[in-house]
Amino acid sequence: MTLLWIPLLTLLGVLAPMCLERYGRNLCSLGTATPPAIALLLALNQVPALMAGEVPRIAISWIPQLGLDLAFRLDGLSLLFLTLILGIGLLIILYARYYLAPEEPFGRFNAYLMLFMLSMVGIVMADNLLLLWVFWEMTSLSSFLLIGFWSSQSDARKGARMALTVTGAGGLALLAGFLLIGDMVGSFNVGVVLDSADVILADPRYPIMLVLVLIGAFAKSAQFPFQFWLPHAMAAPTPVSAYLHSATMVKAGIFLLARLHPAIGDSAMWGWLVTLTGMTTFLYGGWFALLKTDLKGILAFSTVSHLGLITALLGIGSPMAILAALFHILNHATFKAALFMCSGIIDHEAGTRELAKLGGLRRAMPITALLMSLAAAAMAGVPLLNGFLSKEMFFKETLDAGLLGGLGWLLPLLATLGGVLSVAYSLRLVHSVFFKPAKTAPPKHPHEPPRLMRVPVEFLVMICVAVGLFPAVLATGLLNLATEAVLGRHLEFHLAIWHGVNAPLIMSLVALGCGVALYGVHPSIRRFVRQFATTDARMIFENSIQRLVARSQSLTERLENGSLQRYMSLLLGAALLLATLGLLELPQLAGGMPEGELDGVLILGAALLIFGALGTVVTHRYRLVSLLMLSVVGLVVSLTFARFSAPDLALTQLSVEVVTMILLMLALFFLPQKTPRESSAHRTIRDIALASALGMVVASLNYAVLTREIDSISRFFIDNSVPGGGGHNVVNVILVDFRGFDTLGEITVLAIAGLAIFKLLNRLRLFMPHSDAEGRVWSPDRYPMILTSVSQWLLPLALLVSVFIFLRGHNQPGGGFIAGLVTAVALILIYMARGVEWTQSRLDFPYQLVAIGGVAVATLTGLGSWLFGRPFLTSAFGHFKLPLIGEFELATAMLFDLGVYLAVVGATLMILANLGKVTTPHRPTKDAQPATSKEKS
Amino acid sequence: MNWYVFLEGLISVLLIAGGAFAFIGSLGMAHLRDFYMRLHGPTKATTLGIGCMLSASMIYFGVTKGEPVMQEMLITLFLFITAPVSAHLLAKTGLHLKLKYADKTRGCPDEIHTEDVGEKPVLHPDKGH
Repeated sequence: MTLLWIPLLTLLGVLAPMCLERYGRNLCSLGTATPPAIALLLALNQVPALMAGEVPRIAISWIPQLGLDLAFRLDGLSLLFLTLILGIGLLIILYARYYLAPEEPFGRFNAYLMLFMLSMVGIVMADNLLLLWVFWEMTSLSSFLLIGFWSSQSDARKGARMALTVTGAGGLALLAGFLLIGDMVGSFNVGVVLDSADVILADPRYPIMLVLVLIGAFAKSAQFPFQFWLPHAMAAPTPVSAYLHSATMVKAGIFLLARLHPAIGDSAMWGWLVTLTGMTTFLYGGWFALLKTDLKGILAFSTVSHLGLITALLGIGSPMAILAALFHILNHATFKAALFMCSGIIDHEAGTRELAKLGGLRRAMPITALLMSLAAAAMAGVPLLNGFLSKEMFFKETLDAGLLGGLGWLLPLLATLGGVLSVAYSLRLVHSVFFKPAKTAPPKHPHEPPRLMRVPVEFLVMICVAVGLFPAVLATGLLNLATEAVLGRHLEFHLAIWHGVNAPLIMSLVALGCGVALYGVHPSIRRFVRQFATTDARMIFENSIQRLVARSQSLTERLENGSLQRYMSLLLGAALLLATLGLLELPQLAGGMPEGELDGVLILGAALLIFGALGTVVTHRYRLVSLLMLSVVGLVVSLTFARFSAPDLALTQLSVEVVTMILLMLALFFLPQKTPRESSAHRTIRDIALASALGMVVASLNYAVLTREIDSISRFFIDNSVPGGGGHNVVNVILVDFRGFDTLGEITVLAIAGLAIFKLLNRLRLFMPHSDAEGRVWSPDRYPMILTSVSQWLLPLALLVSVFIFLRGHNQPGGGFIAGLVTAVALILIYMARGVEWTQSRLDFPYQLVAIGGVAVATLTGLGSWLFGRPFLTSAFGHFKLPLIGEFELATAMLFDLGVYLAVVGATLMILANLGKVTTPHRPTKDAQPATSKEKS
Repeated sequence: MNWYVFLEGLISVLLIAGGAFAFIGSLGMAHLRDFYMRLHGPTKATTLGIGCMLSASMIYFGVTKGEPVMQEMLITLFLFITAPVSAHLLAKTGLHLKLKYADKTRGCPDEIHTEDVGEKPVLHPDKGH
């Protein structure tokens, strides 16, 4: 359980700053720092167990179908990274307290920071590959928020977008790789995967998987060719750079390589790919670090370079190389975080990060100068500092690596070259900021930062020096645990400063000497390089993104140009194509069943249908006539349902027809009175062809279906309706019981549609014609008296009918849906006869609540079955006896149906009453004061 | 026995009368000269015709099943409620639209209130665009 608390506490830390922001910065920082501090203590508390060789784990099943468990582990590798993440995180929180300007949203910054910390903690502790991937993508998202924190700056936005795109896309590749691993091994559990190295290596898909995983890891760790996002991510506030780009996020890729090394690392392909990528990145980063003039730019490229170094070590993969990699992870995190924080201090106090504007700051800020020099010396690999130790181990491993065979001397040579570069840029960093005389005065008058802002730097530099002096005492314990976790066995090693005069020492000395010399000539190198055209990675990236956007946009516009006719023709064309293909596969159209008999009524009905449909088309420019024709079609359809024994459908169709017609009339009121001629001759031909083809295909399809024996599930519903659902009306039992979940979804959609229309109509100002097409103004007699009195009388009758239909719905045609529509129609009639104001003042409740209440009733009915330990929406029914009334049946489905009823009433009225409300206010009235007309009636 | 013969006769008369009324109503709607005259056919004659048929059906099923029939009663009731309303609305609309009427159509313009009649045609807003 302790393990679960480490991520949980960091999660708590996300909320803390948001709650504490109003109580001032000190308390906010303190509140933010407390949970990770406790988490760090908890993690360190596990050390004795780790020393004893245990690996504490915890697993809670989450989505077992996907193989995703909420599983955490804490081995030596996790511990090493946890120490870095939580420890440096705490220092960053302290540093950020002084770094951010007073007007900046401090709580939000800390919350983002903690969100990021949570995702990192998740990555290093995850014991399930899918869980690891979830946290992996969370780091991409939270780093997007952090890099883009100063969202008013274009640089920050673009940098954040680039980082998100590159690392997010890498994350997708990683997911594919993980899925392949899961498929090979049969489990996503990290422990199982690590033990199945032979299965993975023997699998033919190994190369694909390896490349996918490496793409993910390299994108995250800014390895060549994905290195370009990291320098642009420097638009982030410096605490973010110090945290994300030195110690944590960019190390996530390295962590993944180290984590999976036992499972997938034992192949020549791994060695080649990882070592060479690492080496390339090492040199590339070093070279550009030497050329940059922005303080953070130099640090960014040096980070790229050092990440390359670690990657190369992991690629070499010998036990000592792994040890060196882990050691350098630790060392790099300390000195690089310190350097970033120093550059932030300089930026903060001197007002610029450009080397050209800085110089001679050692007098103004002597302590910072000392701290930064020490950290830079550690980065350069000066003896007696921690960077020296791990870099020497690196040199030794390149000598021992048997990767390139006969060209084996190349690796040490390249490594030394990289060492030369890193000495040169470190020297340049310190010399041009603190020691070289300034050419121009910096924008601000530089001075030492607040005491507490310097504390994190002091602490980190102290670690650099202490580890450099006493490596055996300070680093052995942690590294022991970490290497054991990666290698799976205990590794005997001894960290020492002095190994005697040997090749690595000579390489170090050469690097130091040549590095100083290189710094001496670097102005001429920079002059030489200036002759080449520079390519800005950001321009290329933005260009390609914009091209992609433009292309997608033009594609979208080609498909979706806003013409309803076009969508309809595409949709119908697609349906036509699919149905035609299906029909072509039939051996013959007619099936074995005999045809039904034709009689006069049927022929008359069909003729009416055809007449109505043709009439709708022919009169489409006379909209009222066309609408009437359409309603003829609707009526005949509902009569057809009634004739072919589907009374439920007939009732529904009838009431839906009425509601639709009213809706169409209301909508037409706002549209132009005259329909212009829109179709060209070509389009008319196309439409006629499409419509008739579709009609013929659908008719053939119907004929084919009706003349065949069809073995559908309807038999099951009919057989089970009484024993399973307790109702004789199969349609209703299907709606409220067998397919209750569908119905729940549908009424939810209905309610949401109603709410959306309500929201759209809210304060909508539409063009309101004051007269009809012939120029007659609307009749001032809005509420004819006969209609008014009759409708009022009709309302209780209609309500009675709807209650009747509702109650009998379970056993006879009817049900909540139809009853709801009938109620809605009756109320609409009142609205039409009496006007919105009169009705609204009497029906004094919002329909939104009715619709939402309906969905709630239905959902609660469904949830109610949980109380009895049954699955969602299980219905129950029983027969009860009451004196006087006799035996009757009650079913929970009735309650569900009530929800349907309410949702339908609410949604329909929300749409119609609100649309109607828009039309009324500006129309002429018979009386000067509408209030008197109310009293008269 | 005589009782049944009498009922059969009644049902037949009602059916024939209903059919005749419905036919006359439809004929009137098709044949009469202006809107106001045509309105009489479907609203009065046809309603009466359907009423007759419903009564016939009510008696027939009431006698053969031996229990009172409610459905036809309800249909008749609703029909008699709604037919006048729609007729009234149609007539009002006709007046409002100032539909032309034949000379034979009776009725004094004084009966028509001013508010029921459309005002002088004005330029329709749609013509602007």
